[in-house]
Amino acid sequence: MPPSIIALDRLTQRFEDRTVVDALTFSIAEGEVFGFLGHNGAGKTTTLNMLTTLARPASGTATIAGADLVRDPNGVRRSIGFVPENVRLYDTLTAEENLMFFARLSDVPSPARRVRAVLELLDSLPYAGRRVGGFSKGMRQRIGLAQAILHQPKVLFLDEPTSGLDPMGIRMLRDLITRLNREFGMTIFMNTHLISEIAKTCTSIAVLSHGRLVFHDRIEAVTARYGDDAALEELYLSVTPDTSLAGAA
Amino acid sequence: MSPANLIARQSLRLTLRESTVLVIAALFVVLVLVSAWLGWRATATVNLIFTDAAAFLQSQGRALPPNPVLATSPLSLLRNVAVYVSLIGVLAAIVVGNRLIALDRRSGVLPLYGTRTGDSPAYATGKVLALVALMGTLTGIAAVVSAATLLALPAVPVTAGQWAQFWAFFVLSGLYLLAFGLVALGAAARSRSESVGLLLPVTLWLVLTFVLPSLTGNLLPTASINPVSALAAPPDAAFFQWSAWTFGSVSVAESYRYLSAGLLDFLPEGRLSPAAIPPLATLLIAVVAAFLWALRGLRTLDLTRSDYDV
Repeated sequence: MPPSIIALDRLTQRFEDRTVVDALTFSIAEGEVFGFLGHNGAGKTTTLNMLTTLARPASGTATIAGADLVRDPNGVRRSIGFVPENVRLYDTLTAEENLMFFARLSDVPSPARRVRAVLELLDSLPYAGRRVGGFSKGMRQRIGLAQAILHQPKVLFLDEPTSGLDPMGIRMLRDLITRLNREFGMTIFMNTHLISEIAKTCTSIAVLSHGRLVFHDRIEAVTARYGDDAALEELYLSVTPDTSLAGAA
Repeated sequence: MSPANLIARQSLRLTLRESTVLVIAALFVVLVLVSAWLGWRATATVNLIFTDAAAFLQSQGRALPPNPVLATSPLSLLRNVAVYVSLIGVLAAIVVGNRLIALDRRSGVLPLYGTRTGDSPAYATGKVLALVALMGTLTGIAAVVSAATLLALPAVPVTAGQWAQFWAFFVLSGLYLLAFGLVALGAAARSRSESVGLLLPVTLWLVLTFVLPSLTGNLLPTASINPVSALAAPPDAAFFQWSAWTFGSVSVAESYRYLSAGLLDFLPEGRLSPAAIPPLATLLIAVVAAFLWALRGLRTLDLTRSDYDV
């Protein structure tokens, strides 16, 4: 078993009196494609915001690639890439201009060369000189992914990456994620509520319900125990209470 | 290059690609040009008439009266510029300040800054630097156009002291524009919707430019920004004496008007601001307050949110 690259230790977030993420403790091994499932308002995005250093935890901490989230957030930032939900980038700039800016902001050496290499890696070089404003949702997502891997992070965080994509776009993104994981050994942490995507892409999953971890296992163990995608859905529904439909926002 | 400088440079590039910003900034520069041309034309015409009249009077052997062009300060020819700064210049500053933040929020890139710069002051510093650069450029263009006009004026020498007043006026105008730009920057960072972020500074501008001066300078709102007529004094009534003294201290537009009139030599002899606080102090306090407002807004900007609320 490879060593863990992400380790959460009683990670907690509160908004006023409400606990939205409740003492999450689990770890993810290096090289995993991890699917973080949960109903709307379960606390997935809040957890992701903490892990990407965008929000400070109320208590607890996490270690990412050896850097502590609370004590060394800059160390964490150097090791992670992040693709937020609905990232659109700057419409009036070309794909290359957008990427050059974020490469420089990430202090990437030889940014021009790296930008071209990433665009080539994502089969997007022909679009380098085109303005992002004219791109399809799928193409924007591809450039969004490009900005996240410019500095060659060890861990890539994706928040609902397939949200709003058509089936072609979903397939394209899935292939890219798989390539980044297999060819570059990048650990992927993916927030989603699409069970079908989890089954096709992930190597391990966790289910969050009302801020609490209710399930965490490797995907082989899940499929061995529950069978196909439909059974995975059954599993998800069985660990997620019905109240989620009327519950947290 | 430091992250703050990178962010400033990127912000400049983005803002200068915005057609709204370009149109309103161009309008301001064109109005300054028109103002300069009108001033130049009027002075040149009066001077031409005087030259013809002088030649005629000399041929008749009669004494020459003084040239009326020389009786007024050449700087007062730029009085319209003060109006354009108060109106279209401030609107340009508000649009620029708003776009500097709104573009980032609309593009959903705030989390990308957050995961790179964290809670360091780089983002706030970069945005303020970009605003200062843009306001400086806008004021600088207006100053160069006006300076060229003064240099081209026939028979009107500008003394070193007047040049100092001239540059002081443009520094003051730059600060005035910066104050509104900072308010817009802060409002765009704090508001949950894009339209409110723009409406807030526009409302403040309307109040400061049209409402407050009617209590501190004259009953007619348009008179408070009219550079052609002399500055209007508050009506001689107890209420207006009181309101001019009280509200004059917060009437930033009125303070700018007094300072401009003083620097451009069109303030009536012996006229003093009726406000409790001197105009320069009011303007400087406004700039500092706007800076703190913008800084607080930028430092508390929620980088986890990738978009405006809808």
